[in-house]
Amino acid sequence: MKNILSIARYTLVENIRNKIFYVLVFFGIIIIAASLLLVALGGEQQIRVLLDFGLAAIEFFALVTVCFAAVNLALEEMQSKTIYLVLTRPVSRAHYLIGRYAGLLAAVYSGMFLMALLHAGLLVFNGFEFNLRYPLALLLSAEKITIIGSVALFFSLFSSSAISSISFTVFFWVLGHFSEEIRYLGNKVTYLVPKIVAKIAYYTIPNLQYFNLRDFWDVPGITGGWIPAAIIYGMLYSVACMTLSLWLFSNKEF
Amino acid sequence: MLAIETSNLTKVYRKKHLTRTALTRGVEGLNLSVDKGEIFGLLGLNGSGKTTTIKLTLGLLRPTSGSVTVFGERAGSTQALRKIGYLPEVPYFYRYLTAKEILSLYARLSGLDNVAERVEHIIDMVGLSQKRDKQLAEFSKGMLQRIGIAQSLLHDPELLIYDEPVSGLDPLAMQEMRTLLLKLKSRGKTIFLSSHLISEVEKICDRVGILVKGNMVRTLEQSQWTSAEGSLESIFISEVADSAETDRMKL
Ligand SMILES: Nc1ncnc2c1ncn2[C@@H]1O[C@H](COP(=O)(O)OP(=O)(O)O)[C@@H](O)[C@H]1O
Ligand SMILES: [Mg+2]
Repeated sequence: MKNILSIARYTLVENIRNKIFYVLVFFGIIIIAASLLLVALGGEQQIRVLLDFGLAAIEFFALVTVCFAAVNLALEEMQSKTIYLVLTRPVSRAHYLIGRYAGLLAAVYSGMFLMALLHAGLLVFNGFEFNLRYPLALLLSAEKITIIGSVALFFSLFSSSAISSISFTVFFWVLGHFSEEIRYLGNKVTYLVPKIVAKIAYYTIPNLQYFNLRDFWDVPGITGGWIPAAIIYGMLYSVACMTLSLWLFSNKEF
Repeated sequence: MLAIETSNLTKVYRKKHLTRTALTRGVEGLNLSVDKGEIFGLLGLNGSGKTTTIKLTLGLLRPTSGSVTVFGERAGSTQALRKIGYLPEVPYFYRYLTAKEILSLYARLSGLDNVAERVEHIIDMVGLSQKRDKQLAEFSKGMLQRIGIAQSLLHDPELLIYDEPVSGLDPLAMQEMRTLLLKLKSRGKTIFLSSHLISEVEKICDRVGILVKGNMVRTLEQSQWTSAEGSLESIFISEVADSAETDRMKL
């Protein structure tokens, strides 16, 4: 546990001292600020536009950060060989990978938190009545980011190439928003091969539609059992992904 | 108990290309034993398998066949790693951390309790007190080497594994390294080092193993190269020449 924390800590420092991290948070802030323009132009729905737009921007920038950073999480250390002096200490490979991943998530969550602070401030300033759904929407967004991070890490260990890992991750991200459609396809199609492909895709690709609270903002009572279920689903998915990553990583040579 | 023991240790690198797999021999059938308290030198030309042997001993690489143990523990196990201080061929450090931060990180990962105290002590020992809060990105090569030495000694390990510790150093730094290694030996530490510099190995090693193209062709005691048999250089050259008849320059 102590090892995991030490590794998470330097990973957090590494990300925070990385300029790219600032660039992304900076862009996020610019975009959110720019959405004020929309408010100035818009009519009655202005708050709603600011709300949706901001949440989408926060998620998008967190996604870009987590995708690049997770893909490079182990790859970069393997290429620069800085990993030698960590793995030749009494640190298990599993602790190393878990620590790295935890540190990355801490960095990305902090970025999201900063952007959300600004966003929420702007909303309230424009007359938004703050309610619990806002932090819940962010929480589900963070869950999505966690899933995508674990997927990106898995691909990076599987393919050892940053570009193909990023491509695969983006592919999963996009398809993850069409899970229901894929399931529908799997049920409708009669040919065997496409049916099997659709079924496999449905079960392996994370269902990211569960995490879009902002799509159901006005549906009453939706928060009930669905949010805990989504959170448990997200955790299970990430843990499964991480387990595969740990297995791949334990067989690596440096 | 031996500090390091290998039995028929073999490593074949496999590189997958699109259509075929390229195989490169790293080391082959290595039988090596390093006693506690001695300085053992792996001597060989570039590409002879020194770094491969060291990485196998650290568990960074897995043997293709055969085995290697450190103080009786499986290479790469946390029990084995706890007893090892490793200095890589090239200083591979996080450039965004300061001297103090990186040593604190390694100290924590080594499971030390008195991290701050230990780090101050070691920074002082390698003469970097003035630079403790500078990022490594600003360090010169010589200073990075000192950080390398510092991190290898942080946890006061029993066994030091140094990969080419003197290559690329200036004469003064070489002299310092020699003094350090002899001092460590006098404190009962075991040292396993690699080098392609015969003159250095000759000065400090108790025993030397000559590696040629991944094979340990000969192991020598200090007395064998100080006595009548000739200098270590002539022994080394004749061993290398024997195995490399075919691909030498024709002068
Ligand atoms: N990662 C690797 N992949 C493929 N071949 C390698 C790799 N590392 C080393 N080799 C090969 O193994 C042999 C021994 O290399 P090495 O152990 O680095 O030698 P030395 O440290 O004595 O210079 C060389 O032929 C080298 O090309
Ligand atoms: Mg080498």
